[in-house]
Amino acid sequence: MAQKIKIDPVTRIEGHLGVTVEIENGKVKDAWSEGNMFRGLEVLLKGRDPRDASYVTDRVCGVCSGSHNWASALALDDAFGADVPDAGRLVRNLILGAMWLHDHPLHFYHLSALDYIDVMAVAKYKGNDPGLKAVRSKIVKLVQAGDTAPLTPRYAPDEWNVSDPELVTTAVAHYLQCLEIQAKAKRMAALLGGKIPHNASIVVGGTTMYPTMQTLDAYRGILAEVAAFVKNVYVKDVVTFGTGPLLKLATSNVGVSGLNYLSYGGFQNSSSKDDMLLPAGAILGNLGSIEKVDPEAITEHVAYSWYDGDAALQPAQGETAVNRDKDKAYSFIKAPRYQDKAMEVGPLARMLVAQNETLMGLVEKGVKPGAVARHAARALETLTIVDGVTKWLDELTGMVGKGDVKIHDDSKWNVPDSSTGKGLTEAPRGALGHWINIKGGKIENYQLVVPGTWNMSPRDKNNVRGPMEQALIGAPVPDAKNPNNVVRIIRSFDPCISCAVHIIEPKTNEILKFQIG
Amino acid sequence: MGLLEELAAKQIERRDFVKFCAAVSAVFGMPKAFAKDIAFAAEAATKKPAVIWLEGQDCAGCSESFLATLNPSLAELLLGTISLRYHETVMAGAGAVAEEARLKTMEEGGYVLVVEGSIPAADDRFCTVGGKSFKEVLTETAKNAAVIIAAGSCATFNGGIPGASPSKGRGVAYFIKDKPIINLPTCPVKPARLVATIMYYLASGKAPAMDKLNRPLAFYGELLHDNCPRRGQFEAGHFLQDWNDPAQRDYCLLLKGCKGPKTYTDCAKVWWNEGANWCIGAGAPCAGCSQPEFYGGFSPLYDKQDIFNGVGKSVNIDTAGKALVGVAAVGAVVHGAGRLVLGNKDKK
Repeated sequence: MAQKIKIDPVTRIEGHLGVTVEIENGKVKDAWSEGNMFRGLEVLLKGRDPRDASYVTDRVCGVCSGSHNWASALALDDAFGADVPDAGRLVRNLILGAMWLHDHPLHFYHLSALDYIDVMAVAKYKGNDPGLKAVRSKIVKLVQAGDTAPLTPRYAPDEWNVSDPELVTTAVAHYLQCLEIQAKAKRMAALLGGKIPHNASIVVGGTTMYPTMQTLDAYRGILAEVAAFVKNVYVKDVVTFGTGPLLKLATSNVGVSGLNYLSYGGFQNSSSKDDMLLPAGAILGNLGSIEKVDPEAITEHVAYSWYDGDAALQPAQGETAVNRDKDKAYSFIKAPRYQDKAMEVGPLARMLVAQNETLMGLVEKGVKPGAVARHAARALETLTIVDGVTKWLDELTGMVGKGDVKIHDDSKWNVPDSSTGKGLTEAPRGALGHWINIKGGKIENYQLVVPGTWNMSPRDKNNVRGPMEQALIGAPVPDAKNPNNVVRIIRSFDPCISCAVHIIEPKTNEILKFQIG
Repeated sequence: MGLLEELAAKQIERRDFVKFCAAVSAVFGMPKAFAKDIAFAAEAATKKPAVIWLEGQDCAGCSESFLATLNPSLAELLLGTISLRYHETVMAGAGAVAEEARLKTMEEGGYVLVVEGSIPAADDRFCTVGGKSFKEVLTETAKNAAVIIAAGSCATFNGGIPGASPSKGRGVAYFIKDKPIINLPTCPVKPARLVATIMYYLASGKAPAMDKLNRPLAFYGELLHDNCPRRGQFEAGHFLQDWNDPAQRDYCLLLKGCKGPKTYTDCAKVWWNEGANWCIGAGAPCAGCSQPEFYGGFSPLYDKQDIFNGVGKSVNIDTAGKALVGVAAVGAVVHGAGRLVLGNKDKK
């Protein structure tokens, strides 16, 4: 007998999203993803000075802060015909690179780890490591005071929760350590961005931040500390858990989407637009075959979204007319498709497109591209970013040393009367595209296709489910009151929208509320 | 000392926290002894003060900003100082567990309610959490709160950026009329301001001295322009026109759309991310994000608007500065008068 579950709110993600799953025989049979917030940023930009777009759209997300600012600036560069000088490109890369170094570890420790560890096992730690003993006493003190928020309340641990006291206590210690590391990575980005979240210095044509040797030295100092954490703590933890207690989950099909992956490519390495640290490519069902991305093949469906119409439009011609009363619709999220296929985006997609050696090795050994693999790909990608940032910092330091610094194409600062542009790049959460039409010197239309839209999309007009909806199907949920695997899968996508999931008993239609931890 | 040991020592020790309490006390202009009250309020209570943090039409940027705090450390705040009962981006629980945590805390009453994001005035369904409109969630959670802190530009005044959209996002004060509301605008909220305001409230049981827009004077009492390190360049009529020119690097950003002459915030003195930098320090014009005009009224952001006419009308070195001085002087007088009036009001 099938049951429907809705979790609301799904926490430790950004934004407001609802996910309903239908469960039959202890497994997810069907899934619906529902976006619950409309701010209308695309609409409010109409009629405004195009240069405002990079500032306004930066506020789409405060977690992967800067990503939209970057994509928007790229769209404006395209529309204005601006040629960003090398130092400007490097400053942009260094701001965004630092933000990725903040974002990926934060996602693992603070947004996901609590799905996999039984925090209260800390109390059972019997070892002699003074640091871990101190962590234990801290947690025990909280327990004694009867107030363990925000670590509780939570879901009851299930078979996948790691409860070895040594492992758990180490993970909690790293959780605390990473609170500081992610804040420091933000500080690193702020040195060049002005502030974080929402840096101020990326604009059309380049950047406003004229870098000095002193600033770059400060950046280098924090980078050393963050890079050491990434290599010695974060990646090691992911390996320890992934190849240890979570190996069975990693080699299961839990959380595998439709095997279609997309990366626009990100972080331009040199003045050549094809030279990307994270390469572009599309995978259509065959993990070993990478195809060239054709932006013309992108359309957005709205058949099940709270917007007027049901035509699948290209983003440049996209429309955003809210209709909250539309029949069948269940989400504010549109359904982007590539060649009419639902594509997974994000670190797993990027590392598969890059054919990352370590990841491909794991896949050969039987690791499936599911929930655990997403965490592994994210950690491997963080290492790639550390390398990229180090190289760009050296390059920029060389330029500043020679006094050869040009950060902005000021010849293209004035708004063109009429133009179009697109900016395709990568955010920590996946492929990100901005499209702008300018007419009479004002924004005529502005459309964003964001990672959360790709991954969390509802069904399209052909009834094809979005990647996360697909990934949920088949997930074991032995106890409908503890759908741990459901939230593990949702969070492995690093969603950028708040989620909601309820449980409906079909016989009585009674909606049971469940604890999602 | 091993890494973990070092870490643990850092998390457990109160030294940094006590230092922080002294800083809070200083920033609000309180006597030194007040620092002890703050430390006492946080430490001596058998129960850590409960905080519920709601997110409406937001981007989680204010949450991320809160997570960017380094002094005091976030671990200290979360495990040692406040009891963060409900916070969608941080808490372990979700779904009904999360809901129950909020309801239980609401029953206890007396908590600090932090609100991030705006509330759509055009249609309640533009933002729902757990099947309820956010407006309903906010209204019910506000009922038993001791104080409400509206954190960031979206939760204050005209709803910041969503305020300019068809969703008509509006700040908390548009919906909650019967509770003390402390407004802490800027996009995002400055973490030290938020933490200091929470601490001040816990120690004194009341809101700090505020301006007529309910912003603490300690942070919003002065015009950014008056404290801008580039003020001298402004007076001299030096306005940045090309970001590539090293000679112009520290020039006034008025012609690039800087809203500093109309913006009350301490950004020019207290930089972001523990003093790493600030918008103008990065060569970017102030967008005026602590003002009710933000964003709609301050658009376009990168061009001098008509409301700044008379300010930097010409870039002629000999005349521009002089034209501007008059305007700035008026601003300073108005500001001074405003402060005097508010000071008297606080004494009542």
